[in-house]
Amino acid sequence: MFRIIKKSLKIGVVTGQYRGEEKPLLPVIPEAKEKATLFKRSLAIREVDTGSCNACEMEMNALLNPVYDVERFGIHIAASPRHADALVVTGPVTVNMERALKDVHKQTPDPKIVIALGDCAIDCGMFKGSYAVTGPVERHIPVDIRIPGCPPRPAEILNALSELRKPTV
Amino acid sequence: MTEPGSCDNLLKAAFPVIVQGDAICGESSHFLVPKNLLPAITRYLHTQPSLRGRLTLIWTCDHRPVRDTYGLHYLFTLETSHHWVLLSSELAGNDRHFPSITPHVHAAKWYEREIRDMFGLIPEGHPDLRRLVRHEHWPKGTHPLRKDFPWNRVLGQQQGEYHFRRIEGEGVFEVPVGPIHAGIIESGHFRFSVAGEPIMQLELRHFWKHRGVEKLFEEQTLIGAVPLAERVSGDTTVGHSLAYCQAVETLLDLQVPRRARYLRALFLELERLYNHLGDIGAMCNDTAYALAHAHCGRMKERIMQLNDRLTGSRFLRNVIRVGGVTRNIENRQLTALVDELNRIQPDFSEVGAIIFANASLTDRLEATGVLDQQTAWDHAVMGVVGRASGIDCDLRRDRPFAAYDELPVNVALYRYGDVRARLRVRGDEIHESIRLIREIRAKIPDGPVANETSCSPKPGDWTLSAVEGWRGEILYMVMAGEDGRIHRCKVRDPSFVNWPAIQWAVPGNIIPDFPLINKSFNLSYAGNDL
Ligand code: SF4
Repeated sequence: MFRIIKKSLKIGVVTGQYRGEEKPLLPVIPEAKEKATLFKRSLAIREVDTGSCNACEMEMNALLNPVYDVERFGIHIAASPRHADALVVTGPVTVNMERALKDVHKQTPDPKIVIALGDCAIDCGMFKGSYAVTGPVERHIPVDIRIPGCPPRPAEILNALSELRKPTV
Repeated sequence: MTEPGSCDNLLKAAFPVIVQGDAICGESSHFLVPKNLLPAITRYLHTQPSLRGRLTLIWTCDHRPVRDTYGLHYLFTLETSHHWVLLSSELAGNDRHFPSITPHVHAAKWYEREIRDMFGLIPEGHPDLRRLVRHEHWPKGTHPLRKDFPWNRVLGQQQGEYHFRRIEGEGVFEVPVGPIHAGIIESGHFRFSVAGEPIMQLELRHFWKHRGVEKLFEEQTLIGAVPLAERVSGDTTVGHSLAYCQAVETLLDLQVPRRARYLRALFLELERLYNHLGDIGAMCNDTAYALAHAHCGRMKERIMQLNDRLTGSRFLRNVIRVGGVTRNIENRQLTALVDELNRIQPDFSEVGAIIFANASLTDRLEATGVLDQQTAWDHAVMGVVGRASGIDCDLRRDRPFAAYDELPVNVALYRYGDVRARLRVRGDEIHESIRLIREIRAKIPDGPVANETSCSPKPGDWTLSAVEGWRGEILYMVMAGEDGRIHRCKVRDPSFVNWPAIQWAVPGNIIPDFPLINKSFNLSYAGNDL
């Protein structure tokens, strides 16, 4: 017990120890912001992998570590699409995942926000044209915001999410 | 210890018809084998006590239009000498059948199903000929790796159903999980048959994420395909790009400068560090021990930020190139890196002490998800999972690449094969990686970090390369095509071999322990599905 307390005291607070970015790389469109006003205080995200290389997922996961601690902004990860306000989709949408993606989208209650995370989700990236890929995501479901990068850094994801939920003036 | 020479003699004595082929790389023997002898020879290689060959890779190559044949290749690693034995056979272009070796060599099961899907060649005598990569809705006759299949073909749809193996009886029911999971993880399907709490059987259904990587390689040039290799499995960026580059360098006969070799080893160890730290945290999280998860997540983040500062990429993207590395890391930066790691190491030791002092946690880990040594051997399991089950293999020691010929590695080895052993292997490897990085700092020579070449290989030349990534052995077979392009590139992530083995570690455990067992394997879906 003492060991644990000692360790926690020694480490202190690490949240926020990252280089922040000022602006999201792609501007967030006003329509998306409008949709997001409902979720200003809390946003439940469901992550869907449609053929990513796993790096984009790892950066999403990194958002949950104590350094980024996304929960302090009222953002949390939902275990089921039925509990989600937003879908984060990674990967170029493979032939085999296409149906699952559409199903998940259907299962998510309206109103919902769809976020395409990473170059693959936005325009299929390196996998464009492959016989096994039918994406990008927006070919199958409407996309509200795009976060480019291969993969985007957690700070960039965070930045785009907070930009999305900033009140429109 | 079997001497390589004696292994050749043994094989030739037992099977006089086989012919010695050209050597493909160092420490290997190559034999040309008639296809009807394949089951007998592979069985001999696999079971003969003085050889004990572990199936390492099977690949096929469509030689059309140059020659109207398919090449079949079987690579084995001998247990004690780590010598490679490669068996090659050819199928005439109109011959669709080859004998399956799966009845004798378990580990061939997925490879042969994959060959059937990708090339339309039929392994005769294979016990399970369901589709693997191509899900049921793929139309009949679509075999993407055949040369007459265009890389950008739009696939049609058909109806079909995958038949899971079923257990029937009173009180037995099935629990389907996936392809989309509850956490932020990749897509895959697990089908459990349970009677009450304990799992009776687990069946995997993967390849949801199949992106056609091997076909995409064929659209690239040898030099230009590094970014694609980096994206085979994002968490193994260095492992895959290094294995790919090594293969191309052999084809181009290109020497890599010493300093670049050391830097490659450095990047590989950094990749191992952040992944192992993340895995240990995730395993603790699956036992609901959030504190250790937070500490490990914090340390992993530190290493990833360090990567970012050193190279401009948290995943070490774009650092390995054909001929060397893309950027030099100054000695001053290396010293700063070692200083940082010197601070992280005691930090990790303290967290490790907290983890192992927690009785309720170790209780969850011990005797959970046991993969015994014999099963591991039968499925040719290697890497972290293998070393936790007593399979003593590590390419950094056994077939040194990069700078590992000058950097002796102490291999972590445990026997129990449970979740705890896999956690311990990772813990030991973290300390070993930090020690290696210190040694790299001490030994690294000055000099250039990349070499150039203008020569291009003869079409049809091919080679193999192997790298010990943080999960295990990554293998690449690259065959050159016309004008510096790629004719065929076989990618083998360790996950492809270790996934089937998880089916044997699970029975008898309860479903709530499955996420923990799965995390302790932590295999790649992307690298498996390609
Ligand atoms: S965008 Fe890049 S990092 Fe993200 S899944 Fe695609 S290849 Fe991987």
